[in-house]
Amino acid sequence: MENKERITSIIQKKKHDRPACICPGGMMNMVTTQLLTEGNFSFEEAHTDGEKMAQVAEYAYDRGCFENVGVPFCMTVEAEQLGAKVDLGDNTKEPRVIEYGMKKLEEVDGLPTFDLEHGRIKAIIDAIRIMKKDKPDVPVVGNITGPISTATSVIDPSPFYAGLRKKGELCHRFLAHVTKELIRFGQAMVEAGADIIMIADPSATGEILGPKFFEEFTVTYLNELIDGVKAINPDVVTIVHICGQMTPVLEQTDHIKSDVLSFDAMVPLKEIRKYMKDRPIMGNVSTYAIEGQTPDKVKQLVHHCVEQGMDIISPACGLGMGSPLANVQAVLQGTEEEATCP
Amino acid sequence: MDKNELYGKIADAVVEMEDEEVVELCQIAIDEGFDAAEVIKEALIKGMDKVSELYETGEYFLPEVLTASFALNEGVDLLKPHMKQETTSEKVKVVIGVVEGDTHDIGKNLVKIMCESAGFEVHDLGRDVPIDEFIRVAKEVEADFICMSTLMTTTMAGMKLLIEKLKEEGIRDKFMVMIGGGPISQKFCDEIGADAYTTDAAAAVRKMKELKGIA
Repeated sequence: MENKERITSIIQKKKHDRPACICPGGMMNMVTTQLLTEGNFSFEEAHTDGEKMAQVAEYAYDRGCFENVGVPFCMTVEAEQLGAKVDLGDNTKEPRVIEYGMKKLEEVDGLPTFDLEHGRIKAIIDAIRIMKKDKPDVPVVGNITGPISTATSVIDPSPFYAGLRKKGELCHRFLAHVTKELIRFGQAMVEAGADIIMIADPSATGEILGPKFFEEFTVTYLNELIDGVKAINPDVVTIVHICGQMTPVLEQTDHIKSDVLSFDAMVPLKEIRKYMKDRPIMGNVSTYAIEGQTPDKVKQLVHHCVEQGMDIISPACGLGMGSPLANVQAVLQGTEEEATCP
Repeated sequence: MDKNELYGKIADAVVEMEDEEVVELCQIAIDEGFDAAEVIKEALIKGMDKVSELYETGEYFLPEVLTASFALNEGVDLLKPHMKQETTSEKVKVVIGVVEGDTHDIGKNLVKIMCESAGFEVHDLGRDVPIDEFIRVAKEVEADFICMSTLMTTTMAGMKLLIEKLKEEGIRDKFMVMIGGGPISQKFCDEIGADAYTTDAAAAVRKMKELKGIA
């Protein structure tokens, strides 16, 4: 089966030969230091230049890591658009926010809008267009940092999380603005050819927010974002990844309207299935194992995920940049082995 | 108002995250001539202990802990000018940060808040902190604890390096080293010879109190 066809079959709950195996990009970036070294790439360039970005993503695919291509390789571009300062890192470090764009929630009305025509955010759109042309049969993933994770990169998370309780109205205005801009970004990705929109919102986890705020803030704005992206193409596949211990908020998580949900390694699929009977689930091979164990051990974990009934195999969280390539490749190899066992 | 009743009300106001009420009640305590240090210890911190408990049992989450700690801090700010100076010398001192290469700091912030709520003096170095910076500040402030956290396996090596450097300088026994974060385990803690590892912020503070012999 072609990679794209397999994903579509999984989403539409049609017959397919085995689970898919993807690593979307963004927070769950598939590029490691070893890959950059062997391909002779500068990660910094790949964050800023659309052509280089596409080359690195395609190189990861060509080297047998996962069944998709995806960009960007960080979760900073959205916050940067809203005024945060970013250090682009190097071949061993992913980009990160080094200075917040706002100090107080009260500054929310002065927030800028995304400029999709310039800079790194344009490079991402360009890269999607290039990858779509170069690899028409491979699912192209456009990655977006979720509303709360973007917000907590624009302002220090402490006043933000505290604000959910005492300044709810301000937080709603903040998240509504962020979400509106993320929708514009997501729509531009879909127009450029993204088959899948992956939204990672690690800082929105129920482990931090608790069930009430998770429903009120996380679920609400993720659904707005999903609806906004689907509005220009209902066929685009949406995946939402949320980190951390989600077991206490699985009931609320089921209210998220994405086609696929992705979970961290500590959330057992058996628990997930209690609330989401036939929703395709993605996950959750431990990234600690991928970084520190052997290819055989990684494959064992993959087989375990498949046995449990995981629909799409992927790392449970962001890959460590130091992960050995052989271990990263073992995720796909382990998934492929499953095709022969009925 | 009866002292114990007032202290109980202050503690409840912290638990209920009512910052204005905390301030009002602390002002009453000052007007009544109660000892400011005692109000902090017997009222505000008692309230925060209850918040930690509710956090551990899953009734409170981070937004509640943060809001309660803000309320507590407003009370502390009001009481501080009324405190007699000498009480501060025996404070437990903590240097805390996320090790170099890691920018995840939610867990670290939570430990910081819990430490401050327990009345510790906290020196927060932020995130992406070089190992030498931990040591420099710990020496400078004569810290009791060096607390390091990480969410990435790649930065775990830095924790080991810090302990080795302390040994090289012959000051290993001057500080207690505590570590935490997603990939950290008791096994890793034992391997690198750190003094303690805990799985969450409330447990970290309990462990610190235990190590310092504070009830």
